[in-house]
Amino acid sequence: MTGKFVSVLRGLIFIVIALALCGVIFQFAGYSALGMFHSVAEGAFFRPGAWQQSLRWALPLFITAAGVGISFRAGYFNIGAQGQFYLGAICAAFMAEWLNGAPAFVVIPACFAAGMTGGALWALWPGLLRLQSGTDEVITTLMGNFLAGLLLVYVTAGPLKDPSGSGQQASSRPLAAAYRISDSLGLSPTIIVIAALVALAMWLLVNRTAFGVLASLAGRNPTMVQWQGATVWRLGLSSFLISGALAGLAGTIEFMGPNGRLAGGFLPTHGFTAILIALVANLSVVGTAFVSVFFGGLASAALYLPIMAGLPSAAIEIINAAIALFITAKSGFVDRLLAFGRRSA
Amino acid sequence: MDNPALECRDVTVAYGSVMALSGVGIAFERGKIHAVVGQNGAGKTTFARVAAGLVRPAVGELRINGQQVKTGKVKDARAAGVELVHQSFALPPSFTVAEAMEFGSDRGAAIFTRSALQKRWAPHLKSLDVNVDPKRRVRDLPVETQQGIEIARALVADARVLILDEPTAVLSPSGIEMLFERVRKLRDRGVTVILILHKIREVLAIADTVSVLRGGRLVDGPVACAEIGAKRLAEMIVGPAVARTLASGDADAATGRGAPAAHTANHHTPADAGLVLDMRGVSTLSDAEGPALRDLSLTIKAGEIVGIAGVEGNGQRTLVRAIADLVDATHGTLAVGGVDVTAAPLARRRAAGLRVIPFERNTEGLSLSSSLWENWSARELLQSRLLSAINPARLKKRCDEALQAWGVHYATTGQQAGSLSGGNAQKVILAREVDADAKLIIAAQPTRGLDIGATAFVWQSLREARDRGCGVLLISSDLDELFDISDRVVVMLSGEVAGTFSAPYRIGAVGAAMTGVSQ
Amino acid sequence: MNDIIVAILRSGTPLIYVTMAGVVAQRAGIWNLGLEGLMIIGACAAIVGIVLTGSFALAMLIAIILCVLASVLLWFVIEKLKANPIIAGLGLTGLGLGGTSLAVQAIFGSQAAVTAPFGVPKLGPAFGPFGVLSIFVLAMPFAVFAMWVLLRRTRFGLRLAASGEHPFAARSVGANPSRMRLAALIIGGVLCAIGGAELAAGSLQIYAQNMTAGRGFMAFAAVIFGAAHPIGSAFAALFFSVVGALGIRAQLLFGDAVPHDLLLALPYIATVFGVWLSGKLRGGRKAATGFAELRDY
Repeated sequence: MTGKFVSVLRGLIFIVIALALCGVIFQFAGYSALGMFHSVAEGAFFRPGAWQQSLRWALPLFITAAGVGISFRAGYFNIGAQGQFYLGAICAAFMAEWLNGAPAFVVIPACFAAGMTGGALWALWPGLLRLQSGTDEVITTLMGNFLAGLLLVYVTAGPLKDPSGSGQQASSRPLAAAYRISDSLGLSPTIIVIAALVALAMWLLVNRTAFGVLASLAGRNPTMVQWQGATVWRLGLSSFLISGALAGLAGTIEFMGPNGRLAGGFLPTHGFTAILIALVANLSVVGTAFVSVFFGGLASAALYLPIMAGLPSAAIEIINAAIALFITAKSGFVDRLLAFGRRSA
Repeated sequence: MDNPALECRDVTVAYGSVMALSGVGIAFERGKIHAVVGQNGAGKTTFARVAAGLVRPAVGELRINGQQVKTGKVKDARAAGVELVHQSFALPPSFTVAEAMEFGSDRGAAIFTRSALQKRWAPHLKSLDVNVDPKRRVRDLPVETQQGIEIARALVADARVLILDEPTAVLSPSGIEMLFERVRKLRDRGVTVILILHKIREVLAIADTVSVLRGGRLVDGPVACAEIGAKRLAEMIVGPAVARTLASGDADAATGRGAPAAHTANHHTPADAGLVLDMRGVSTLSDAEGPALRDLSLTIKAGEIVGIAGVEGNGQRTLVRAIADLVDATHGTLAVGGVDVTAAPLARRRAAGLRVIPFERNTEGLSLSSSLWENWSARELLQSRLLSAINPARLKKRCDEALQAWGVHYATTGQQAGSLSGGNAQKVILAREVDADAKLIIAAQPTRGLDIGATAFVWQSLREARDRGCGVLLISSDLDELFDISDRVVVMLSGEVAGTFSAPYRIGAVGAAMTGVSQ
Repeated sequence: MNDIIVAILRSGTPLIYVTMAGVVAQRAGIWNLGLEGLMIIGACAAIVGIVLTGSFALAMLIAIILCVLASVLLWFVIEKLKANPIIAGLGLTGLGLGGTSLAVQAIFGSQAAVTAPFGVPKLGPAFGPFGVLSIFVLAMPFAVFAMWVLLRRTRFGLRLAASGEHPFAARSVGANPSRMRLAALIIGGVLCAIGGAELAAGSLQIYAQNMTAGRGFMAFAAVIFGAAHPIGSAFAALFFSVVGALGIRAQLLFGDAVPHDLLLALPYIATVFGVWLSGKLRGGRKAATGFAELRDY
């Protein structure tokens, strides 16, 4: 499809513009822009073992982003992925604590169920408020992120506190090795299989069910589907729940896999990055998978920069933010540029 | 004629690949009432906007009183004395009347108190016979008053040329009379008035000269109205190509030629036909979209077209929304196709045979950024379970067949609905809503914005549906349309039925019912 | 009692300035979620400016210039590139948060908090127990009143409101909605610089990473709560601050009986409540904020 090709090209052009803005900021702050980008690329993809690290970050990001994509598709601006992600991790941690000692084949599925439920519930209340009384979900989900962050700090310093822990940051008791689904490198067959299943399920949901078509129609024009007889409640709540459950699943994976414990304020930009991924991928499930790898690379570079290259990791934050600033841009000179040489049909 | 009030030379405007105006050159004499007519899509509104500086033509120049004015600059056009009153009024709904006057003005202190503002504008409104409390908010006012305010707003400065874009479209017959009175007074004060119209009857009633646009080109004009007959004018508006395909009744209705009373019913609904719509004593609450229905009863038989007339905002929208379960009924019962659906959601009402062509084609009828097949299959998908599997390839194929059958011009079923012309887009809605299982079709303003060919197509489709045994509820603000195809016309006023009429219709009686004047 | 009022004014003043910035933008038709980023830029620039130049006036000038530049960038992206205002606003917020920590790292070689030798000039002993407050606190009610006059009682305000509510109407009287929005965002940039400076240099004279902690978003919620009316929104912002101050007071009273983090949550909960209430009062109707990239109208 040429339409798709044009939109991908447009996205790429705006990413280049965003990176140029970053370069200006880096240069302005006294760093060499080229050196910075070089280190970022190296940290993301070109050092030994980089791909493995990038994939480790890409998989949970993909799962959250796929969920964000569903609610954006349905027209709900659920930007609470971060909070739903935290709630997933917190609920899974409580479940693990409660079942501690039971066999792994009981604990692991129970933790996953708890994590997905926790994420879904954290998306449920903004959804209900939105559908019941028109409360704007942008603000409620945003506030939900702050609340979940405080809750996380509270449980890691309170009910789940690791008494042996020292250092400034309180953290929860570590998960028993038998219940871990990966080592601290974070790439295991279990996680890969889960991500693949999510990808398949979401692709089918979006492209091969009535829900997929109707949710997209409702997202683009809620009035029209109402005149066709849709119950906006069902479409809306299910998209909130799906996106919350997937963010919760990602939180569970981070807790049971690479992290193995909860720490106050861990991965604070996960949700925002997932939103970006969904937007850059134009909400397509397949696109989300590919874009996740790119942002997974940036996430792994964020760890690489301060340690190996002596550069501040805020550089990655800036790159992400600049992409956010430009990614939804759609007209103006870029479209004229893309139309160059073609006759307007 | 030296120094015409307004002159366009060789004006060409293109929206994308569509030529809205091509090479239009026209000059209007000072101190007269000029009509510009043409069917929808002929370029009338674009012409008005070019004259007012809202649209910048690709080529062409604009002269006001012989002075060349920079095109595409509202400020310059206003400074030269050209003001435009829009078809759908351009007043922020939350503003008070006084604020609406003030924000269009360039004189006086730029900082004020509420009472100073009211004092400043009350005499101006009064001098134009707009009787309204300047404290009231625009959104709470009836359309006639809003139009009066919009005209007053346009005259805050020293307007020498006043352009009114389809001012009669929203008015009742008596409202039109009042408007024409107001326009004549303005002319007598020396204002040059340009009226964009599309009904020949109105042109001949008010204008001194007439100019005809068709397909973005000037067919002729300005010609003195005295020198041109209604028949010749109709031919110029319709154009020879379309004229051959039109039934004469439809052509007259579409151009608003002659008295609409002339139409007689040529269809007789069998007396024993079953009821496809049976509304008894339905009341609703009022909301932002319209007034409440009050104890409204309405029946439609199979094989009958019932038209709803009324000044916009008298509950027509609420009526449709009540039938489509988009507003809750507080009292009364509703049956569609013989099935009681009083408490049923829209999906079940649709299953009982209800179909709706909504008021706003581009927001309520179609999702413009979605593909044709998604738009077309929405109704069907909503009749199945949310998680049921679909086969996009098969849906696209069936959509293809349906759209072909309705004669839609399109490239692929994957193209966006927004890429179609208005007439084609309406055909997509017809293809979705007028199917074999339809029992009651609600057609709300189905021809608004369509050119005459497409309008006649819609009318013909509704007639065919009726002849197959469907009941049709037609809501329109165009009396010619209602009289042309309805078997019965029901007039709504303030959420109630104000009268029921059958052919032959008398415009005076219907118009009186619309405004609540007893005859 | 006085110390509670001082605490409320201290936490409320920055929020109210930033809320006013949100109000102008909202009236002009832009949902400004970049307030958080603008506020942190203001806070950082004020403190770093004082440290580097040793002059409060110069520091404020730098803060205002940077905030206005960032606002103009947001305007360009939203108006000229037709980006989604919410996502672009979040992007600007990220740029502010990341940019400030990068700047601090570049200037001071570490990301530790920066302390300034002095802050915003204080009211002084003439004001008794309120003398510890900064001049921006005293100016705040006047700023709110000025915003009210500007937005509700001037022709400029009417045209700004028309640009947001009915851009076509604004265009047809010769106003340029896009330029009106630029003006709104520039005014907002100045207000955010003051709000950020008051936050960092009003009482503590310290800048720490991410010190805005969602205040910009709270200001945005106050705009919605107050229906974009300058005075109503200012009271909404004040309400959030009162809740926060009372929470801290409760902690002093009850000690560890109530977990500290849950008290910190009170303003956020109040915000959710406020937005819910304002939606409720307006009959469940919601402005079209849906993901505009996909929406077709």
